[in-house]
Amino acid sequence: MKKSFFVSIAFVCVVLGIMISTQFRNVKNSDSLTVQRAEELTSKLNQVQKERDELKKQINDLESKISNYENSAAKSSTVTKSLKDDLDKYKELAGLSDVEGPGIIVTINDGNTQLQPGSDQSAFLVHDEDLLNIVNELRAAGAEAISINDQRLVATSEIRMIGNTIDINSVRFTPPYVVKAIGNPDTLEAALRLKGGIIDTLSNWGIQVSIKRSDKILVKKYDGVLSYKYAKPYEGGNN
Amino acid sequence: MALIIILSLALGLAIGFFLPINLPPAYTSYLSVAILAALDSVFGGIRASLENKFNNAIFISGFFGNAILAAVLAYIGDVLGVPIYLAAIFAFGSRLFTNFAYIRRYILNNFSKKQ
Repeated sequence: MKKSFFVSIAFVCVVLGIMISTQFRNVKNSDSLTVQRAEELTSKLNQVQKERDELKKQINDLESKISNYENSAAKSSTVTKSLKDDLDKYKELAGLSDVEGPGIIVTINDGNTQLQPGSDQSAFLVHDEDLLNIVNELRAAGAEAISINDQRLVATSEIRMIGNTIDINSVRFTPPYVVKAIGNPDTLEAALRLKGGIIDTLSNWGIQVSIKRSDKILVKKYDGVLSYKYAKPYEGGNN
Repeated sequence: MALIIILSLALGLAIGFFLPINLPPAYTSYLSVAILAALDSVFGGIRASLENKFNNAIFISGFFGNAILAAVLAYIGDVLGVPIYLAAIFAFGSRLFTNFAYIRRYILNNFSKKQ
């Protein structure tokens, strides 16, 4: 009887050991699986960001090459020189070149009001509509070039809320938003500070807005690609 | 006896680590209940042997029967939405502690008798 006891208890303990270690490994694996996934995604993100930076550098190189060609072409004859002048003018109008001039810098940030429990927090945040109103007002006041957080507003630019961030030229931004506008500083500031106007309304909600005038504001160019897929030039004819 | 238990347990652990047995994560809860049942059987066996009431057939059948029954009950509980595995954990857990208490008492009694 003693011998059979030893054999069976040893056997049972071996089986128990196998079960325990299998379970242990399983539990450990399920933990490390999520960690592995996160690590994989992080490294992928890093890689893609690096690629993006490389491509940006390439764009800069190519653009400087283009401007070199343009300059050398402009030197060759008067026709090409006038073409180059036209090109520069249209680029400026389209927002494809850096421009400089007097204007105002508007900084908008979320309100820091202490919230009552249960009150709606979203009323105290900067919304896409607020930025749109400001941009609209600036344009009405004759702003010639506007950028938000160094994203130049061009014909195709969007200002759109995505969750807590605002999408401008497909780049996401969080507060504070810095709006730079070139134009007559007096007119621009007066347009925003109108009684019952935008700044009045925003400061009612506790949103922080500050306006700074400057004689020399640099508004950067639009660094995306402007191209139409569907719109074609109108050829004339019956209308 | 303690030496045999520890050695065979270590052997089992080693085998389990080196064998590529991979259970789908969904079954880990059943295996954990089965482990509890098996642990209870081992303690029961040790107690019976100390009381000289050890029966090999009862021990082996109890070990496998309890483990399988516990896993199956846990599975049925999952299917029906009733947490039956709690019953298994409760029953085996309380018995495990009772068995351990008996073993402890027996060993301590022996120890004090020797002195």
